Amino acid sequence: MSNTLRPYLAAVRSTLTAALTLEDFASQIVERHNKPEVEVGTSKEVLLNPLMISRNENEKVLIEPSINSIRLSIKIKQADEIERILCHKFTRFMMQRAENFVVLRRKPVKGYDISFLITNNHTNTMLKHKIVDFIIQFMEEVDKEISEMKLSLNARARVVAESYLLAFSS
Amino acid sequence: MILLEPHNYIIQTTLIDKLAKPTSLDVQFVDFDGVRFHLSTPERKTSLLLSMSIRCWNELVQYGVHDVLKREYGAMVRAQPESDYNVSLDVDLEQFPPEGEERDTFIKNIALLKRHALAAPFELAFKAQKQLESSGSGQGEIMAMHYRDEEAIYIQASPDRVTVIFSTVFREETDRIFGKVFLQEFVDARRLPTIQSAPQVLYTTHEPPLEIRHVPGLVDSDDVGYVTFVLFPRHFAQAAVAASTISHIQLFRDYLHYHIKCSKAYMHSRMRFRVSEFQKVLNRAKTEVAVVDRKTASGRSMR
Amino acid sequence: MSYLAPIICDNGTGFSKVGYAGNSDPSFVFPTAIATRGPASQPTRSGPAVPSKPGHLASKRGVEDLDFFIGDEALANAKTPGYGVNYPIRHGQIENWDYMERYWEQTIFKYLRAEPEDHYFLLTEPPLNPPENREQTAEIFFESFNIKGLYIAVQAVLALAASWSSNRVTDRTLTGTVIDSGDGVTHVIPCAEGYVIGSAIKHIPIAGRDISQFVLNLMRERGEMANVPPEDHLKIAGKVKENYSYVCQDIVKEFRKYDAEPYKFFERYEGENSVTGRSYGVDVGYERFLAPEIFFNPEIYSSDFLTPLPEIVDGVIQQSPIDVRRGLYKNIVLSGGSTMFQHFGQRLKRDLKQIVDRRLEAVAVASGSQQKSSGVEVDVISHKRQRYAVWFGGSLMASLPEFYNFCHTKAQYDEVGPSICRRYQIFGSAT
Repeated sequence: MSNTLRPYLAAVRSTLTAALTLEDFASQIVERHNKPEVEVGTSKEVLLNPLMISRNENEKVLIEPSINSIRLSIKIKQADEIERILCHKFTRFMMQRAENFVVLRRKPVKGYDISFLITNNHTNTMLKHKIVDFIIQFMEEVDKEISEMKLSLNARARVVAESYLLAFSS
Repeated sequence: MILLEPHNYIIQTTLIDKLAKPTSLDVQFVDFDGVRFHLSTPERKTSLLLSMSIRCWNELVQYGVHDVLKREYGAMVRAQPESDYNVSLDVDLEQFPPEGEERDTFIKNIALLKRHALAAPFELAFKAQKQLESSGSGQGEIMAMHYRDEEAIYIQASPDRVTVIFSTVFREETDRIFGKVFLQEFVDARRLPTIQSAPQVLYTTHEPPLEIRHVPGLVDSDDVGYVTFVLFPRHFAQAAVAASTISHIQLFRDYLHYHIKCSKAYMHSRMRFRVSEFQKVLNRAKTEVAVVDRKTASGRSMR
Repeated sequence: MSYLAPIICDNGTGFSKVGYAGNSDPSFVFPTAIATRGPASQPTRSGPAVPSKPGHLASKRGVEDLDFFIGDEALANAKTPGYGVNYPIRHGQIENWDYMERYWEQTIFKYLRAEPEDHYFLLTEPPLNPPENREQTAEIFFESFNIKGLYIAVQAVLALAASWSSNRVTDRTLTGTVIDSGDGVTHVIPCAEGYVIGSAIKHIPIAGRDISQFVLNLMRERGEMANVPPEDHLKIAGKVKENYSYVCQDIVKEFRKYDAEPYKFFERYEGENSVTGRSYGVDVGYERFLAPEIFFNPEIYSSDFLTPLPEIVDGVIQQSPIDVRRGLYKNIVLSGGSTMFQHFGQRLKRDLKQIVDRRLEAVAVASGSQQKSSGVEVDVISHKRQRYAVWFGGSLMASLPEFYNFCHTKAQYDEVGPSICRRYQIFGSAT
């Protein structure tokens, strides 16, 4: 883990842990509705200050807390267009399966690559620190996975090109 | 399977089947690059008619496809092809060579129909190169084959080489980027000592290479790329080497696209694995719901 | 011709049928098996060819996943050290997507030799396939292969469409009962107007494999197999089943007939030992008509499944909504290799008709009314394309010009995403 990554992840972890103090809160606008306030945004008084943690201009996390829900959006590092497309494919693939990842949002918040929405229901049924672990592990591994995919793509391309050209000289 | 094979599998297997047991038949199928085949038994069960339609037939005719097919198939080529198709072969099952290696080569040769048709301009270019070499100067004419709707192959002979240029179009963003990575490796691969003798590969986007810059009808857009293969006499001086070079270079586009697709499939399997790993991590967060074993009065558990 | 022929892929548990639309037979029929490097099928889904730990360099060369065989070649390579054979489809549903994706990859590029970007695809799915599976399939075909358009059809509906080729079918309806019997399992599936009535589907655990086993048992009991090498036993039983078996109308009469003139009815099967080359012969007797009889009298073969096929079919139709029952009785369609026995259709029709008539009579007696029922028409349709009925139905549909209107195109997929395939467009309905 590089030197800047560790404090970055540590900051996200502690912020997220602190922000994950959620309680049941019924909608003030519509009777008998209970919605994630951060998504509807109709009652300004229950929204807390959003917070951004950034490692550099390409990698940042936006945490938007509210009384009963919290939204976390991640911008993943993309150095070139290969990484951009791989990142896009990967996040899309994952969001396609958002059903299984209960805390995953189907669409990212604008300007970010992937978003999670954690509500008080989730914190009631799941262990809070494990949810945080999941997010942190995701952030750690997604970068690795993308750079590895890029490496393997390059390696494949090389093998493919070599075997094609080799057939000429045989 | 890394390399694609030049012959058509369906023709090969169908012929072998029909030799064992002739039945009437009427099938249509395709090959790469929009080539259509029609295999039928119009008169007798033992006389098959194999017709092929190929997009750039008119261009191939100019480059002497008739001579090539005549050489390969002799009297089998019909003077008048089936309507809707460009070329027809009469295949008489009764006149096949006896079982053994000879028969296998014969069948394979029929299955190579598409390859032979597309070989015509290459052979012409190789011949032209020899002439130019002896005369020592000049340039051969540029032969264009529009083998797909948006893509074409250009072949030009020079005194010391034959240049083959593929224009490529990627319809999708992912393909374009993957394609770029692959093509870059094609360009770089020649640095390796083992494949020094392979043809030189150049890759340009947007701007067509000098050789074909004056050719009318070139599409000028960011999506178009040009791949140039420079074949030297060592790639086609001997007949056998030339033949394998032709079979090989024809399939360049299909080879490239095949591998782009394989890479995507590979990425998919990686992502499936990674996503299921993440799933496991998240599932760890879920608290166990204590299962209370409820019993009925008689002591049986309720499930 | 603006489009190249669509590709029809019918991937079944045992065999895959693939080919181009417009033909009457699939171009390739081979086992749905894939031989990959590494151990044979593990029940758990671990990621093949993916390093378990990030940072692992094993996959850096990155083409190990191209080292595999499919179909007959897979089985041929099963013994090669280092390869293991896997069956990506279980009970009609795709279990291992990684293998399946690679299976399709090689089907298209090696066998069909088609550029998927230029083609429309028609795939089949079993009844009650979860929509998630359909989405996964769409994801593979649109994203990996960039295909032009996709239509996913239910196998039973295609089998109904295949029966249109029979000259006994006058109106082209998609209402009917499909009896689909392959190698592993037999399904009875009612369809109304192109929709499968999911709640009424029944499965029968008797199919091709069981018939072969039954034939083998009979022949062993008679001592025919004594001079046959044991490894060939099942193969010969299969051959006997395919070549000599038929459905009789009355077992007792048939037995008497055989006993009176054994030389007329007993057949002889000649075979050759695959290793030593010695030839041998076996007599084929009662199993000729007893083999398919296990559909009608299952008690002769199995002790735990005892309901005859006609009763199952009747039960399925009785469970369906009342307004389609007549249509279901009138159009019973056979599909799959294990329905190919001679007179299979006639026997089924006769037995089913008896059940239906008996019930009508009972109702008339019980109600005591004077009005007489006009009767229920029962018809079982056999046709020439029964063996690959599903594939053939697909080929028929995909060669219609309207086919393209019912496909989901690449553009639509890009716009909506895989969930577009949850919408199931019935063929022939208004768009």
